[in-house]
Amino acid sequence: MATHNLQNHTLNGDHCDSTVPSSKKPKLSSPATTTTTIISHSQIQSEFSHHDLSIARINNGSFGSCPQSVISAQKQWQLQFLCQPDHFYYNQLKPGILHSRSIVKSLINADHVDEVSLVDNATTAAAIVLQKSARSFYEGRYDKGDVAVMLHYAYGSVKKSVEAYVTRAGGRVIEVQLPFPVKSKEEIIAKFRKALEKGKENGKKVRLAVIDHVTSMPSVVIPIKELVKICREEGVDQVFVDAAHGIGCVDVDMKEIGPDFYTSNLYKWFFCPPSVAFLYSRKSSGQDNNDDLHHPVVSHEYGNGLAVESSWIGNRDYSAQLVVPSVLEFINKFPGGIEGIKKRNHEAVVEMGEMLVKEWGTHLGCPPEMCGSMVMVGLPVCLGIYSESDALKLRTHLRNNFGVEVPIYFRAPKDGEVDPVTGYARISHQVYNKVDDYYKFRDAINKIVSDGTTCACLPN
Amino acid sequence: MENKDPPNGESAHHHQLTKKPRLTRFITESEIREEFAHHQSGIARINNGSFGSCPGSVLAAQRKWQLKFLQQPDDFYFNTLRKGILHSRTLVKDLINADDVDEVSLVDNATTAAAIVLQQIGRSFADGKFHENDAVLMLHCAYEAVKKSMQAYVTRTGGSVIEVQLPFPVNSDEEIIAEFRKGLEKGKASGRKVRLAIIDHITSMPCVVTPVRELVKICREEGVDQVFVDAAHALGSVKVDVKEIGADFYASNLHKWFFCPPSVAFLYCKKTSSSSDVHHPVVSHEYGNGLPIESAWIGTRDYSSQLVVPSALEFVNRFEGGLDGIMNRNHEKIVEVGKMLAESWGTNLGAPPEMCAGMIMVSLPSRLRVMSQDDALRLRSHLRSNYGVEVPIHYQAPRKNGEAAVKDKDGFIMAYARISHQVYNTFEDYCKLRDAIYQLLDDPQISKKLFAE
Repeated sequence: MATHNLQNHTLNGDHCDSTVPSSKKPKLSSPATTTTTIISHSQIQSEFSHHDLSIARINNGSFGSCPQSVISAQKQWQLQFLCQPDHFYYNQLKPGILHSRSIVKSLINADHVDEVSLVDNATTAAAIVLQKSARSFYEGRYDKGDVAVMLHYAYGSVKKSVEAYVTRAGGRVIEVQLPFPVKSKEEIIAKFRKALEKGKENGKKVRLAVIDHVTSMPSVVIPIKELVKICREEGVDQVFVDAAHGIGCVDVDMKEIGPDFYTSNLYKWFFCPPSVAFLYSRKSSGQDNNDDLHHPVVSHEYGNGLAVESSWIGNRDYSAQLVVPSVLEFINKFPGGIEGIKKRNHEAVVEMGEMLVKEWGTHLGCPPEMCGSMVMVGLPVCLGIYSESDALKLRTHLRNNFGVEVPIYFRAPKDGEVDPVTGYARISHQVYNKVDDYYKFRDAINKIVSDGTTCACLPN
Repeated sequence: MENKDPPNGESAHHHQLTKKPRLTRFITESEIREEFAHHQSGIARINNGSFGSCPGSVLAAQRKWQLKFLQQPDDFYFNTLRKGILHSRTLVKDLINADDVDEVSLVDNATTAAAIVLQQIGRSFADGKFHENDAVLMLHCAYEAVKKSMQAYVTRTGGSVIEVQLPFPVNSDEEIIAEFRKGLEKGKASGRKVRLAIIDHITSMPCVVTPVRELVKICREEGVDQVFVDAAHALGSVKVDVKEIGADFYASNLHKWFFCPPSVAFLYCKKTSSSSDVHHPVVSHEYGNGLPIESAWIGTRDYSSQLVVPSALEFVNRFEGGLDGIMNRNHEKIVEVGKMLAESWGTNLGAPPEMCAGMIMVSLPSRLRVMSQDDALRLRSHLRSNYGVEVPIHYQAPRKNGEAAVKDKDGFIMAYARISHQVYNTFEDYCKLRDAIYQLLDDPQISKKLFAE
């Protein structure tokens, strides 16, 4: 069993040889199909036995999850480095990273492995893309006042990154106001078109569109294929898809979606340890070529292409980038592989979401077809969620007093709304979840309500 | 004795650095061997400079932090992470004699620190705050990553780069100071301003401890705007007192000589008006809250190597004399074995002992015929694969200025081994290198084997 490895206090006696772990090439498209190779329920429990079992862990979206077998593989890589770091650097690191990148390339249907770089997380990927835009402003390729369009619900870090790199360099930022709750993808498409029009006012160009594939808070699957198409039709220079929640949560196919840049974390829904993400950059021969992408931490690899630059940004622990093959092995133990996992997660989270909204007389934040592995569940109005601070207080209260981990979103009421739902829980489903997790959440909210507790009563 | 378990919701107690550990005895030789038992046996590991080393007890502490995150990451993020990083930063602040913990940020490595400082410079050029062709100064032997960073952030935005020759082999601080003054004059030529000087505290290849205090003083006298000391090797090698050194920015790795796992470094930014425009390039929601806070959250990742600084300090304090004791003994030993090798081979040291810390450059016999950096790399690989010796080799091109070049009995010396001593090394490690070189010299086909194209 892999569990005990975490309890070892020293690496005494650990065998240190020169072979790399798990070099067997895993098959991408042959997930478990026979009962002898399918992972069992108790094996899944064991793989996630390091999770705090007293917690109903229904927030896979924030920090992801990683099974024991992948953690063990990661430790092997770490040990290889510690054992003989020079040999590791000269002989093992680069091939290992290339192997991981090749797997990702196939998973996302990219044309060429050169298009795939591994970075820490989507936040880093965003900085890389936005720094390129900043350079274009500073170096005069873009005019001051040219526009970057992003969703109003863009991740907080991405918004700050846009401020740091686009606004500061002279660009103008337009936010697409999205409705929430949302009823259909047409609502989103219409708002997006409007924002693009606004961007093109006064003869300015829309240089960059930053579009979430799955927004974070509130969480909704965006009709990304349609939006990218509209960008092309409307002459947007470059499209950057922020799919932090992409791979393992929604379908990720570069040729289908057609972006210039696409990033997704691998530790959220693809079982990698913290942290690793990929940044896809389409090879183009166009004027605004994607070759001017650079990792901000410059090493001696500067100028050798982003993928090579990112594979060495100084001495650090690259093990999270090296375990992608082990992750694929894990995933292929499930029927249908990653597709099967996605489908079952989606069905389960929708089922649980509908159970909860029925219980509380509320509604889901969007229709099931606009969800991946997460869904926004309306919370009872009597909880009195009137601010983001209230939402955080409730989240803390649920963690500390009920053993439930779930992020809460505050949705500001609009003029004229009567008694609207102002709080939504973003519940998730991943392979380690059980129905009891959602019953625990249901019962917790019911107890809070029956006690008459409101957010106003909760401590800061 | 400090509790080994990672703090959870407890306030960070100020750790007294000079307090004698409540041990009945210091760490023993066999305990040291156990701490580094994960190092590959059979390898003479005399290259601590490149990738550092980390003892088993610190690795164990790191695993505890990692497990804590995996167990309940939300709780970790909201209740544990920030406190842990603040504790580490506070210890570093005390170690380096900084005034305020706000001046201390933790980043991945010195390469990242360099990018942070140079991006700030780049922004000033791009914003028009600096004039085109204003200068940034660095040593010609600056670390390659720093050179590329200059290209990316200074040259690209219109600044000019001035290189100062580091004399090598070198005989005294004065030689370095003289070259530095020359470089500064060049920088100020045509009425240019020198906006930044990057000075290595300990150069990488070739490895020399520079008279950094004097050099910073000269920068101030000559009106250099800002000084950045790249001290990648410093913490755990030489005394680090940032107030005494007086630079605006000072960065050192903790995973090289301070027993932290890969990887963690600190960047010290003296509180001045311009230090508020320093940012981590990976922008998160903490943007604008000051570099230490920005660096403490650059998206989800494994911050455990930043969190084990207290454990590394605990480890250090198990040694007689703590960090000072370790540094002194490393220095004494490396000088001793350096001299032994030079005598054995009939060669010399690249710098006098007082210009070395835990590493020393020992020239290799000219008969090895190392004639290029490629040759040096091949020799290094050969030593690794065939002799079980891990040591970086530096090729020193012959000087062009007509000065008497360094020779041994067979010809011009052009290659140096950068040997290091850390607590896990034994005398046998260096004998292994000595004997490997003897064997190579005995082999008449050696040049052909090693360096044939």
